[in-house]
Amino acid sequence: MSGAQLWYEDVAVGDEAPVKRQKLSRTDLVAYAGASGDFNPMHHDETLATAAGMPSVFGHGMLSMGILASAVTDWTGVGGLRRIKVRFSKQTWPGETLSTRVVATAKREEGVRRLVDLECVLANAEGQEKVVGQATVELPSRS
Amino acid sequence: MTVDASLIGKSTGKVRVVVERGPVAIFAAAVKDSSPIFRDPRAAEEAGLPAIPVPPTFPFVMEHWGRFPEIQPEPDGTEPFSPFARVIGPLLANGGMILHGEQEFEYKRPVLVGDVLVGEGVLADLYEKESNGRTMTFMVVETNWRDDRTGDPVVTSRFNLIHRA
Repeated sequence: MSGAQLWYEDVAVGDEAPVKRQKLSRTDLVAYAGASGDFNPMHHDETLATAAGMPSVFGHGMLSMGILASAVTDWTGVGGLRRIKVRFSKQTWPGETLSTRVVATAKREEGVRRLVDLECVLANAEGQEKVVGQATVELPSRS
Repeated sequence: MTVDASLIGKSTGKVRVVVERGPVAIFAAAVKDSSPIFRDPRAAEEAGLPAIPVPPTFPFVMEHWGRFPEIQPEPDGTEPFSPFARVIGPLLANGGMILHGEQEFEYKRPVLVGDVLVGEGVLADLYEKESNGRTMTFMVVETNWRDDRTGDPVVTSRFNLIHRA
């Protein structure tokens, strides 16, 4: 967490958030299962996952969304998040390195509110997109 | 199988949850967010918040952590409606698989440790599409969470589930 508040005037369309990079492990999936209550065995039981035809256990979609959202709030602050919406495109697998890509696509004003729209993507090292979506944040203004 | 569009708009009932500090810290670690703001009230205060906020996807797990039995709203006499039992169950009985298609959270204010929220779910949409000769059924459940004390809306989640035949 940078700690410094991002101001509306500090963001230009095209600016990108610092990238968060995370190599996914089976332990990460176990931790997320416990923290979310999602004990679908496909995410933690390798024996059952492979018996079901999967190459291995795979990550929870909501874990991917959580990692991606964290890149947004690290950059813009937690208090300003107004909306985040994602589509789940591909599964994540232990051993993959996932990277976030958060880009400002628009700046707009709604009355006194200063809003920035963001495109958000979580992808692996090969560029395969796992989660794709948008977010809108409200930022403080110096004016 | 044609979906029953008359189910759209039916309420899935009300729940009350408490947001607590421990679960928020554990959840932040699980989504690989190391920010002190989710763990230390001093960091939250520095950020101008009255209490520790929750990570953006935490509303998805609020019921798991904070739906305590003694605080639940009294049943209002109407039949509780479960879209999972009424729609997804029958579809899965004929095979296929379910996928989490999309997820959205829309915030009026940050969810904070100490919040007591009441959520009411509704089946917001239900439709079918043919894709490569297979029927895909889309179900959207919207949950509107309000501050129990003030009644003010806090966060809305939209959960889009797909059944693929």
